[in-house]
Amino acid sequence: MNFMEMLSEIVAIFNRWNKKLVRQPILIFFNLIQPLVWFLLFTQAFSAIGDIPSFQLLTGTSSYVTFFTAAVIIQTITSSALSSGLGLVTDFDSGFMDKMRVAPISKSSILFGRLFSAALTTIIQVAIIIVIGFALGVTIASGMLGIIIIFILTALFGIAWSGISLFVALTTKNQETTLSVGLLTTFPLLFLSAAVMPLGLLPDWVQQVAKVNPFTYVAQAFQSLIINGFEWDKIEYALIAILIVGVSSLGASIMVFRKKIS
Amino acid sequence: MLEVKLECPKCKNQITIQVKPGEKILITCPKCKTQGTFTLPTEKSVQQESKKEDILIVEHLRKTFDKDILAVDNISFRVHKGEIFGFLGPNGAGKSTTIKILTTLLKKTSGKATIDGFDIDAQQAQVRRIIGYSSQDVGVDNDLTARENLLLQCQFHHIPKKKAKKKVGELLKTVKLIEAADRRLKTFSGGMRKRLDLASSLVSEPKILFLDEPTTGLDPQSRQDIWDYVIKLNRQGMTIFLTTQYMEEADHLANRLCIVDQGKIVAQGTPAELKAKIGTDKIKLLFKIDDVESCEKARKLLFKLPGIEAVGECGLGLVSENGLTIMTKNGSAMVVRVVRALDEEDISFEQLTLSVPTLDEVFLKLTGKTLDVIERKKAVKPVGRRR
Repeated sequence: MNFMEMLSEIVAIFNRWNKKLVRQPILIFFNLIQPLVWFLLFTQAFSAIGDIPSFQLLTGTSSYVTFFTAAVIIQTITSSALSSGLGLVTDFDSGFMDKMRVAPISKSSILFGRLFSAALTTIIQVAIIIVIGFALGVTIASGMLGIIIIFILTALFGIAWSGISLFVALTTKNQETTLSVGLLTTFPLLFLSAAVMPLGLLPDWVQQVAKVNPFTYVAQAFQSLIINGFEWDKIEYALIAILIVGVSSLGASIMVFRKKIS
Repeated sequence: MLEVKLECPKCKNQITIQVKPGEKILITCPKCKTQGTFTLPTEKSVQQESKKEDILIVEHLRKTFDKDILAVDNISFRVHKGEIFGFLGPNGAGKSTTIKILTTLLKKTSGKATIDGFDIDAQQAQVRRIIGYSSQDVGVDNDLTARENLLLQCQFHHIPKKKAKKKVGELLKTVKLIEAADRRLKTFSGGMRKRLDLASSLVSEPKILFLDEPTTGLDPQSRQDIWDYVIKLNRQGMTIFLTTQYMEEADHLANRLCIVDQGKIVAQGTPAELKAKIGTDKIKLLFKIDDVESCEKARKLLFKLPGIEAVGECGLGLVSENGLTIMTKNGSAMVVRVVRALDEEDISFEQLTLSVPTLDEVFLKLTGKTLDVIERKKAVKPVGRRR
């Protein structure tokens, strides 16, 4: 496989998806509705959590909104990741996928072009979330550099988590299944992680689950960047979790995509 | 002198004859006394026949879905370079499955197929560089403009930017979409989309173009446009493989064709050969309603005319008509001779009609059903489309 050829293929497909997005900018906000509702309602309803002394001790902040920002970012990433798979299903339905598959391009290019465009979309969405966070009184301890790291983690986790929806999309080629599998995995995982509540305040069994849940590590990295500043070990853990999710989900997707032509 | 084995068309008796190339000889079947002539092709013409290079060779191709649904059942055929080859059959006959296997979109279960010498499984990358494919679904992106769609295809084929721009401009002109080039496809009609899809399968200048039901669902004008374009491409030297469920389309476009039904090839040949196979042209002669005498005279006269295979009884079985039907192999040539013979004997007639067999009749004869009926039956559950 010629590397330059593959790069140009990825760029072509990346641009295609970006063009589609720019022409239907509503899509940027579509995935944002749910995280925004959470951001605005959840944090109001549960603001009293911030007053719990052990919460302040565990998290370093008495503001639940600030703490919860990480959860909203994760939710934005996962719901945006969901649409990568849905986009592929649309291509299968329209026949465009066949057109791409008949062309002398690499299967991985088709996937990565889609993933990179989805990552870009997610960064824009997370930027919107952060701006709204500022309006709600959230401050980011790590400053501008921290925000950039948040964007990088967002893109990487977005790509890794997209792998799951790509996998479902490629296996089922069905909108509804892709959508429901995406939603069904995201919600429990969010609540069984340190994203909504600090690890120390969770019941024992939930803590055990949370410790093997990648959401926990990504959430803790975001939380530390927002609340405390730079704690590189947390970022490291997050990167390891993202790497594990990414390699397995994308590996499986590429394998299914290559194989699943019969 | 060569020894040639022949089969008597009537009693299926095997006859062995000695014949020189180019020589025309009269043979009488020793068993049933049927007579016929046979000409052995000269070596030159034999060579010319084999000189036609095959670009697509398919041997014993099979495809099963879920182990027990047989979509393509042991088909073999060859497509010559530069011809239009048709695959005619109803929905669910395995046409789309076959085309998807040949375009590397679907894995075959067994058999072998090569395109320009490249194996469709082992050399997928090479195959993809020399084929163009236009699917039934019309694989274009509705959020993009016509020009962007074609440029994207150029990028997929790694055509340099400058060359791509020029090529896209030319293609848009040929498919008459230059005025709509920068409009998004959302506003396009079905015919426009199909034309664009066709153009997009041509950016790589493929050696062979696969068209899966190129005119299904199009209005007559759009259909004619596609036909004209396909013929134009073929004249420029492009080999075209197309599937269709329209007899008319196969008849109009294909140099040679396969008739497929339930995953099997039931017949192959040129449209003329296939029609000749089932039979004969019919000439119907009508006389004045009370002129029974002329009809009888004509019947006796025409019966003796060489080239006429059979003459029906006078009356046509109808009270309201006085006429007869003549069966012949070569209707258009016979019409003149029939008219001349009747004229010489001063027999006057009212009306003469010539009907030639259609591919519809061929299909009916081969499968025992008409295309229309199967279409309606199978449309509910097409076997083995998209997987």
